[in-house]
Amino acid sequence: MTAYVLRRLAQLVPVLFIASIGIFAMIYAVPGGPVGIMLGENANQAEIDALVHDLGLDRPIAIQYFDWLGSAVTGDFGVSLHSREPVIKLIGERLPATLQLAAVATLIAVLLGIPVALASALHPGSWLDRMLSGWSALALGVPTFWLGILLILLFAVELRWLPSASRYVPLWEDPLEALRHLIMPAATLGVYVSGVLARFLRASLVSQLGADYVRTARSKGLSRGRIVRVHVMRNALLPFITVIGLMMATFIGGAVVTEAVFTYPGLGRMLIQAISTRDYPLIQGCIIVMLVIYVAINLTVDVLYAYVDPRIEYS
Amino acid sequence: MRGGARILRELVRRKGALLSLAFLAVLVLLAVFAVALGFDPVKQNILHSLEAPSRAYWFGTDELGRDILSRVVYGARTSLMTAGGAVVLAGVIGVPMGLVAGFFGGWRDAVLMRAVDVLLALPAILFALALIAVFGRSQGAAMLAVGITGIPGFARIVRAQVLSLRQRDFVVAVEAFGGSSGYSMFRTILPNSWNQILVQVVVLCSIAILLEAALAFLGVGVPPPTPSWGEMLRTGKSYLHEAPYYAILPGLALTLTILSFDTIGRSLTAILENEDAAVTRAEGVAS
Amino acid sequence: MSDPASGIVAEGAAEPLLSVRGLTVGFAGRGGVVPAVRGIDFDVMANEVLCIVGESGSGKSVTALALNGLLPATARMSGTIRLGQTRIDTAGEEALRAVRGREIGMIFQDPATTLNPLMVVGEQVTEGEVVRGDLARTDAPARAVELLEEVEIADAAGRAGQYPHQFSGGMRQRAVIAMAMAGRPRLIVADEPTTALDVTVQAQVLALLARRQAETGAAVILITHDLGVVAEVADRVAVMYAGRIVEIGPVDAIFANPRHPYTAALLQSIPRVDAADRRLDTIPGQPPLPGAFPSGCAFHPRCALGSARPRCAADDPALHPVGGTAAACHFAEETAPPRLPADPRQSREIAGATEAPLLSIENLEVHFPIRKGLLKRTVGHVRAVDGVSLVVRAGETVSIVGESGCGKTTTARAVMGLVKATAGTIEFEGDDITHKSSAALRAVRQRMQYVFQDPFSALNPVKPVEEIVAEPLRIHGLYDEVGGKQRIAELFDLVGLSKTMFGRYPREFSGGQKQRIGIARALGLAPRLLVLDEPVAALDVSIQAQILNLLEDLQNELGLAYLFIAHNLSVVRHISDRVAVMYLGRIVEESVKDDLYEGALHPYTQSLLSAAPVPDPTRRADRRRIVLAGEIPNPAAPPPGCSFHPRCGRASAVCSRDDPRKARFGDTRTLVACHHAGPLGEPVGQVAAGGVR
Repeated sequence: MTAYVLRRLAQLVPVLFIASIGIFAMIYAVPGGPVGIMLGENANQAEIDALVHDLGLDRPIAIQYFDWLGSAVTGDFGVSLHSREPVIKLIGERLPATLQLAAVATLIAVLLGIPVALASALHPGSWLDRMLSGWSALALGVPTFWLGILLILLFAVELRWLPSASRYVPLWEDPLEALRHLIMPAATLGVYVSGVLARFLRASLVSQLGADYVRTARSKGLSRGRIVRVHVMRNALLPFITVIGLMMATFIGGAVVTEAVFTYPGLGRMLIQAISTRDYPLIQGCIIVMLVIYVAINLTVDVLYAYVDPRIEYS
Repeated sequence: MRGGARILRELVRRKGALLSLAFLAVLVLLAVFAVALGFDPVKQNILHSLEAPSRAYWFGTDELGRDILSRVVYGARTSLMTAGGAVVLAGVIGVPMGLVAGFFGGWRDAVLMRAVDVLLALPAILFALALIAVFGRSQGAAMLAVGITGIPGFARIVRAQVLSLRQRDFVVAVEAFGGSSGYSMFRTILPNSWNQILVQVVVLCSIAILLEAALAFLGVGVPPPTPSWGEMLRTGKSYLHEAPYYAILPGLALTLTILSFDTIGRSLTAILENEDAAVTRAEGVAS
Repeated sequence: MSDPASGIVAEGAAEPLLSVRGLTVGFAGRGGVVPAVRGIDFDVMANEVLCIVGESGSGKSVTALALNGLLPATARMSGTIRLGQTRIDTAGEEALRAVRGREIGMIFQDPATTLNPLMVVGEQVTEGEVVRGDLARTDAPARAVELLEEVEIADAAGRAGQYPHQFSGGMRQRAVIAMAMAGRPRLIVADEPTTALDVTVQAQVLALLARRQAETGAAVILITHDLGVVAEVADRVAVMYAGRIVEIGPVDAIFANPRHPYTAALLQSIPRVDAADRRLDTIPGQPPLPGAFPSGCAFHPRCALGSARPRCAADDPALHPVGGTAAACHFAEETAPPRLPADPRQSREIAGATEAPLLSIENLEVHFPIRKGLLKRTVGHVRAVDGVSLVVRAGETVSIVGESGCGKTTTARAVMGLVKATAGTIEFEGDDITHKSSAALRAVRQRMQYVFQDPFSALNPVKPVEEIVAEPLRIHGLYDEVGGKQRIAELFDLVGLSKTMFGRYPREFSGGQKQRIGIARALGLAPRLLVLDEPVAALDVSIQAQILNLLEDLQNELGLAYLFIAHNLSVVRHISDRVAVMYLGRIVEESVKDDLYEGALHPYTQSLLSAAPVPDPTRRADRRRIVLAGEIPNPAAPPPGCSFHPRCGRASAVCSRDDPRKARFGDTRTLVACHHAGPLGEPVGQVAAGGVR
């Protein structure tokens, strides 16, 4: 098992290495380079030279890279050009908000997606199945930012039940107030992810329900309920685990957009603001943190999969 | 293409797919003949700003008194062109990548698939944001960003297809007659992969349109004054109290477009799966 | 019994255990209900084995599912099925569950997919009893071990805790049998239970099934397409065609004196492992698929008796007693008695050893590396082919026969240059082609062609068949030179196809027709050698005979040499001049066909031959069957010494130490690789790992 985890980690190394080079190179690919970014376009040559030396930009590029990488690994992404605060501190302030949004959205997605998938897979081709498949198509097809706007129109503008701009209130401090601010963004994101979840899980369930071993189980005299619970669910959820990685991608992307719709003070919104103010250290920091979260989740999922499936030998 | 006509016949037999095809056809026609039909997305009329839908302005007007319907039609143009360009870009790079990786295997496969892994290491929208952060905001950058994030889809699907076809006897047979690698790849494997590629094109169209709109909504997509649906939603959101239709109607056009591509994509998948199942059944019967 | 069909019931029988009357099953589809089973009647007595035999589309598997209420939701069923006093056809889900497992046990075809991959085998075997409350949960593990021991799974206690993927195919099927028998059902329904298994494992499983049936007194319905298996195990036989039972009766009568023309023709069309040279009688056309059953008697378009008679095309005949059986034929009395066909197979003089061989394989080895770990280091080799030497002369047929995984297909592919030889040489027309580049091989490939096993996968689905046959000619730039379309038409004609089919796609053809297309394609370049990889394995029995006859005709006409790869010993005996038997990557015995079949010297060949079912129930009593223990070892780690020794009845100390060399045995024409080679007879006294039954 340990060997398997190590092997998966080793496979990640080249990917992360190339990705880090890409993120590092971003700042150099921008017209004007790092100096132009920091000083603006009207700087004189003396200022430029001083800064180049201060930042060590006159050293070989490889040295600069490893220097940067070394700092990044320890969590030092530099200082925001805009607020002059350490990037890691800014991220630390915003991350809890995004994690809270993600947690509640996941809950909604699972509570919505799994029953929908089950109900439609158990009656393939029925009106219920058609209706629920239509629902998942809608959940997937309606852009989160439009759904968010519609929700704001209804609940904030028309009914005035909920705030149109969401603040971050930690759930454990004031659960009710937190939910008032969280429910619309979490629902927007959760509905979208539930669509992904329902569609894949339904496909997985339908194919497992048609498998030979289900016929064998029936020939043993097992009830349909037991066959689904004991035999089908395990087999259907297994390939589904691999889909979680894909779901995470839509999740992170969805979070960036959702936070923008509800002006929710999370990591994604900070990234967008950083892009519009061309705050490159902050952009780099946000992307690296999201990348690490995404990769870590995918790795966990892979290892979990190998652990649960007896057919995979991790020797 | 063999079976193209048959697949189209099957497609129009399905109500959802037929409706989707019809909607997309109308949209494309409007976008192509927008000028001839007299749509003007830039003419301002401050006296008529933020007017509700009426006989004169079917979709109402925006904050500068521009006709929203005209802007929606031109937004379709932007959307379809950006997405179309992105899909072509992704296909032109991704398909040969998958073909070579799957057919030759070995170090070529390792290198190409690691490249794909890198592209997949970031969620598509983050990747696009990073690219735009570097290249600045333009229609070309949006197209490039969306296109590059589409490459892994093509590469993986084609590679999987090649790997499964390579095991099939009719591909081995070509080698047994003395056919070259090129012949196997382009004359035998590729013609048997068009269906899968077609499905991927349709699926990617819906993803690309969504992504393009999302970038515009975030304010980093195709820059104004070019009309785009995402940009309209972004602005419309500021006028939710005064003019709710401003955000609703362009969003509706966007949603219907995405749903149409998605519906067609799912119908295609189902049709091709049915065909495969029919073949498998025939094979099963004989054994 | 006042039933019109007296043959339905076993003679002198009391109350039947299972009684089926007027069973029809159809499947709802777009264009209405497609009939699959069209009104069948039969009874099964306690302690009886009824075989239902038929080709694809005959409705035999659908019948099996109907007996247990397992038909899919799209099925429409009518008629009555009575098990003892229980009506199964009208039973609700609750009542059916009480019947399943406890009254009727099911065994399915593919042991690879019939078990849940994520549940340990022991738990699956006892699950039915536990859920029904017949077995306390705490007693289940002990019961699982007991059940697995009953089906002769070694180390049952350890195996019960393993997952299906850790079992071999034969062991999985044993586990499925254990599962089906767990509730001590009165009826076992086995749907093609040995079709996916190798012949020596098939023999094990059939012996096990017979033993368990004798021990429990259950009745067995065995569904199969294999007339050999029928002759081995059946008490009575029902022959199905196009959704009807066309003949039913005691096994001896069916084989000795079939009254339905289809039964008679089927028996004439199978090659026999014990039979002399003869040309196979074929049934023209192909078995009809549901939805396309002919009018009247569904067999009439293919029937020698009825094809010209209007009555056969108009009226569907009912089963009625004729002679010892009941047959559904208007003219059953006219069915000719079985005979050895008058038309003997043309015997050929085998070219003398003096002539230079066309193909010569010397010490061929093909090893596939097993890579593992981070750096993909090679940790071992699968020795797919491990020292094969074989010669094929112009105009002769040499067969390689063996069970799955023995390396026969890899050998064939190495000859074609499709896999790389690890060591050894392959000479074609005196020219060493072992390490030729693919460009240099092109010229060779004009004179050496390949025919694939699976006709469904061998033809490019997106090309019309004319293009498929033309493809090799186009690749070699010879299309116009040899006459273009005209030549393709000739090739079609040669294999019995019409050029009116030119524009059609492979999907529009049946399996037999596709195989003809594959052969036509291989003949296009006018080769001297055809490598035929299991060319009839995927085909129905009646179609198999057509293709075998075609291959014989082509050989006589064109002077082709065949390297014929197969697992079916009967087919091999029918088509070959010389036969080589492969086991774990080696040829263990090689001889002139009749010498090998009549006087095999290697213990593996002997057990293989004894395991092959013979379609003749009268031979059942006097046959000696050597049932091999265990299954084929992993070719990545073959046993030391003679790789067969762990399963061999004659093995001695030397066998586990020294690898025997292939050598001529005495003054026979046989080469054999065994320390204790010798004819099957008295000297086989000591029985070690295997057993003689």
